Amino acid sequence: MTDPHRSQHNHVDNHLDVDTVADLIENLLPAGEAHRARDHVKACPDCQRTYDALIQLNADLAEEGRADIPMPADVADHLDSVIRSESVLRASTVGVHSLAQIREEPRRHLPRLLMAAAVVLVVGAVGAGIVVSTANQREGSSAGLQEPSDSTPGQTSPIPTLTTAQIAGEVQRLVEGGTGAVIGGSAAERSCAADFASRQPDQRALRLVMPAQVEGRRSTVIGLQADASRDLRVFVVTGCDTRGATGADANVVYVTSVTLRNG
Amino acid sequence: MTRDVTDAGQGPVPLAAVPGPAASTTADQPPTPGLDDLDDYELLRLHVAGDPHAFGLIVQRHRDRLWAVAIRTMGDRDEAADALQDAFISAFRRADSFRGDAKVTTWLHRIVVNACLDRIRRRQVRAADPLPEGEDRAAEMAGPAQDDPAEVRERQVDVLNALKQLNPDQRSALVLVDMEGYSVEEAAGILGCAPGTVKSRCARGRAKLLPLLRHWQTTRGGKTPESAGTE
Repeated sequence: MTDPHRSQHNHVDNHLDVDTVADLIENLLPAGEAHRARDHVKACPDCQRTYDALIQLNADLAEEGRADIPMPADVADHLDSVIRSESVLRASTVGVHSLAQIREEPRRHLPRLLMAAAVVLVVGAVGAGIVVSTANQREGSSAGLQEPSDSTPGQTSPIPTLTTAQIAGEVQRLVEGGTGAVIGGSAAERSCAADFASRQPDQRALRLVMPAQVEGRRSTVIGLQADASRDLRVFVVTGCDTRGATGADANVVYVTSVTLRNG
Repeated sequence: MTRDVTDAGQGPVPLAAVPGPAASTTADQPPTPGLDDLDDYELLRLHVAGDPHAFGLIVQRHRDRLWAVAIRTMGDRDEAADALQDAFISAFRRADSFRGDAKVTTWLHRIVVNACLDRIRRRQVRAADPLPEGEDRAAEMAGPAQDDPAEVRERQVDVLNALKQLNPDQRSALVLVDMEGYSVEEAAGILGCAPGTVKSRCARGRAKLLPLLRHWQTTRGGKTPESAGTE
């Protein structure tokens, strides 16, 4: 609605302002004001043209809205990889593939779902379109969220179990709770994450490395922060936890952004 | 102007109730021959029954349309890509709740819109600052140029730049109603506000866009002079 404290007329030449004409078209003005504005538009060629131009703009926006916009190739590649990853997860975790079966028989499928995390088919493919098959030891417990911690050789640390929907909130909680970088995982995993960070085009600093079971897959959550930015770019990758892995072995399966409140 | 946009998920026949063939391929095997010839509904049915390639084909068919929705609503390339990722994962997993009374594209479109709005709301809660600005990135947001005539691309860049001048509330309402063809009532339902609020946001959005896009009308030999009533 029009702000009653704001003049609806331009005092220089007494034209209606554009907001008022737009409100008039949308029937948002009180009756008396609408009546006066309508009379003014009829009598004023300039305001009539503004009125016509707004009507035409409406038609132009509708026409523009019907046009597609080509998706950039890198975005398309990433989204294809996410979908392939979803397909592999579905097929590899339940053995039977129907969504209806999973929904109707969750108890029967749950143990298999957890067992299947032991061997995860990893679909990689951001840009390169490669498919890699990797056997992973299942390290995590599914009991809930745990803090990331350094693991020492021969000792298996519990790692958090997350869904992709939980990633942003969990990362925000961890990173905002600390003052510096939050780095977990084995030395090999940390080294892989650092190498992955160095391969990113926009030179962001490594702020988080967290081993996690994400959607049943042994993954590494990597948070990168640009200088002077409060935005953390978060990558969930697989393939970083094997000995000797480098950033080139990291297959991105999920990406999101987190805005830090304490920067 | 309003297209037929039915609320996805309402209707009598969930896909999960429709029997389909068991999947015979996995994601790392080539798609079943003939999959390309099926319509979206058949593909979604196969996806629910376990076909590993069917969902990807649906998305490939409509990716430019869905990208247009996301980039206009979010106004930022990375945010749009993240919103589509959320939307595709959600659609992949909830496909069995699709009911056959709406087109698959309508259902997907709605999921993308909701994913965009979820991200905008989360961002508004997390930080008071707006989405990253930068008019110079509009050309990049508009995607590769080679397939579009110069004039079409110029208009895409114009509108993306202009939309970035609106606040997220105005932009969401205007994109839904003026560009995506939702009715005011439908948009109010999606945005969780009163229809009058949607109309007001659209009106203010149009008033703000007019001086930025008025050259569309003058370059077409339109009847509108540059300056009337815009000061």
